[in-house]
Amino acid sequence: MTKYRFNKYSQIAARALRNSLKEEQRVAAEKRGLTILRYQKWENGQGGPQVRSKSLLSSSPSLPITHCS
Amino acid sequence: MLARRSLGRLASQPAALGAAPANARNMATLREIELRLKSVRNIEKITKSMKMIASTKLSKAQRAMWAGKEYGLANSEVFQNAPPEAPPKKKLFIVVSSDKGLCGGIHSSVSKMTRRIFQGEHGEVDPSSPIMVIGDKSKAQLSRALPKNLAMTFNQIGRDIPTFADAAGVADLILKSGVEYDGISIVYNRFVTAISYEAAVIDVETEATLKESPGFKAYEMEDDVTKDLAEFALANAIYAALVESHACEQSARRNAMDNASKNASDMINRLQMQYNRGRQAAITNELVDIITGASAL
Repeated sequence: MTKYRFNKYSQIAARALRNSLKEEQRVAAEKRGLTILRYQKWENGQGGPQVRSKSLLSSSPSLPITHCS
Repeated sequence: MLARRSLGRLASQPAALGAAPANARNMATLREIELRLKSVRNIEKITKSMKMIASTKLSKAQRAMWAGKEYGLANSEVFQNAPPEAPPKKKLFIVVSSDKGLCGGIHSSVSKMTRRIFQGEHGEVDPSSPIMVIGDKSKAQLSRALPKNLAMTFNQIGRDIPTFADAAGVADLILKSGVEYDGISIVYNRFVTAISYEAAVIDVETEATLKESPGFKAYEMEDDVTKDLAEFALANAIYAALVESHACEQSARRNAMDNASKNASDMINRLQMQYNRGRQAAITNELVDIITGASAL
């Protein structure tokens, strides 16, 4: 049983791909990966607190960025 | 000379105690009209600029919509060839709207469609079916109409063209939420023309229904892969609905602001006429006073 579901996995892979592009294309592609989604769980007609979903920005922790020329 | 002196005397004469100053009624109305005229002129400027902004956003949104639609059609082809064996009993409804107003009837269009579905106009519906809403405006409307069914709401989508990351995030949260359902229906606004739209529904199958479908069983896919396919298909369908709804919203906002500007300019003409007539009437009255006063001397 994997830790991530498929959609999260595909977004992680997409982020890795975007980070590997050349600078100009990377800036253009980053806009496509932007999301500032917020969600709120509802229980019995009452809304819970609004939570910002964890977004995957290009500040990826471990992998070094190597550009293929 | 005499007339001029009497003019000055009359003009500087203090009014009788308690009585309103001469031309008070006319001047008060004139000032009111002037204020109103100023505010309606500002409103017209604002609605005109909003219309311009919406038209430029519309062209961009339409291009994204045509691209996203192809994606959505390709996605639904799997489901056309693998229809569910039995119609799903408990459906999850995902209602797509947005956070911003001043766009005509966009939000009430999807909210009304959802309420009509729940009243049974489009087939039988389990009254405890969960609803998830994208967008604050429809959330407000549906939380008043069907509060017990709301499971989760999303916002901050639709400020700019929706991205696939938005759709994937929504799909991920839906699947993680643990809400139970046999099928999914996405209620959104379909783009008919640049001046009209209509509420529509996209149906998406869950992993379980897809597995049971005879058209799909023929291929003997692994469970893991079927699960991934179902999840990805949900994200695709949500993306197609988001992008099309966004285009509808921009076109509706443009039309609404266009109408508002037209109404505002009609109002400005009417008020201007009223103001001019009022001003001329006040001047005529003053002249009459002066002349009667002068002729009395």
